[in-house]
Amino acid sequence: MNERRDDKLTAAARQLATEIKPQRDLWPDIERAIAEPEPRRTRATPMFAQAAAIVLLVGASSGLTYLAVKDDRPVVIAQPTPEYTFARASFGSSYTLGNDYLETRADVVARFERQLERLSPAERQDVEQSLEIIRGAIDDINAALQQDPDNTLLQDLLMKTYHEELNVMRKVGGVARSVMSRRDI
Amino acid sequence: MAALLTMETGDNTAGMVSRTATSMRDEAALVARATAGDSRAFEALYRAHVDRVYGLCLRMTGNVGEAEDCAQEAFIQAWKQLGRFRGDSAFGTWMHRIAVNAVLGRIRKSKREQDRIQVAAEMGSSPASIGDSGELRDLSDAIDRLPEGARHVFVLNAVYGYSHEESSDMLGVAVGTTKAQLHRARRLLAQQLEEQGFEA
Repeated sequence: MNERRDDKLTAAARQLATEIKPQRDLWPDIERAIAEPEPRRTRATPMFAQAAAIVLLVGASSGLTYLAVKDDRPVVIAQPTPEYTFARASFGSSYTLGNDYLETRADVVARFERQLERLSPAERQDVEQSLEIIRGAIDDINAALQQDPDNTLLQDLLMKTYHEELNVMRKVGGVARSVMSRRDI
Repeated sequence: MAALLTMETGDNTAGMVSRTATSMRDEAALVARATAGDSRAFEALYRAHVDRVYGLCLRMTGNVGEAEDCAQEAFIQAWKQLGRFRGDSAFGTWMHRIAVNAVLGRIRKSKREQDRIQVAAEMGSSPASIGDSGELRDLSDAIDRLPEGARHVFVLNAVYGYSHEESSDMLGVAVGTTKAQLHRARRLLAQQLEEQGFEA
């Protein structure tokens, strides 16, 4: 019974029109679209270019910060300590920042904030600008990782950038260097 | 130009085979010229295949506007990917694969599928039935009211004659899934047609 029904349906379906004329000519739009020059940029190019730019930026800002704070001149300032937000890696639920890193970071941040109050306004501004650049880079890399979560280059870059952030705070706070690698995520 | 792939009726099988072979050579030449950047050759390919590509898009989407967009997108993608066409399958089959991808991509991007089903349930004849006559229009309408997965498999398998392997490859699902969807489609179509008083 079902077989006969299926056969009849199949036979009827084979008679349906397979060629249907569009109500309008689609060619003019197609011709216009294919006449446009193909963008040469691949999707990966801007990401890696951005990554390279971030590395340069982070390196430069870190160096500047080091120069700014290398002379340990205690200066008491009255401005309140800014609250530094911590952007966690956001590329996938299976990745988290390691406990060692989080503990080290908490220690570094506490010392950094104490020392920051002793810097001159100009030095303090340098440090804040450097950290702002680094944290912007962290946001950008996290955004790129949301698009491409398995990109190990970006993961490495993210870790290096977190490392740079710690280095800046360590140089200000005089805290021993932390240990972190991509395995910490 | 529109009849590059000649559909012959009559008893002259030898003539038909010969003409089809000539058409295929012509088509291969057009593909080669289009691959080299000749948009006139590509237009000839478009004219030869647009009705079949649009027909598939219309039967898969059940919506004139969506079908036009999908067919257009399919030809634009085909132009970009011509260098990858190796001639392992007929150009028309290759175009169908791209068209199926265009339809699936569009459905993934939009939530309009739910709206489409609602509209299809409320409306009378499906736009795809325009090309059909008599009782076939009822079948065409019934196909249009099928759930998405069952409709796609039925259109590819029963209407266009693709095998389960080809359909599963085009749709990116397992062969078992296309078999199950085809069974479901037939059952639902039979129910619909019975409800309308037709003997299925």
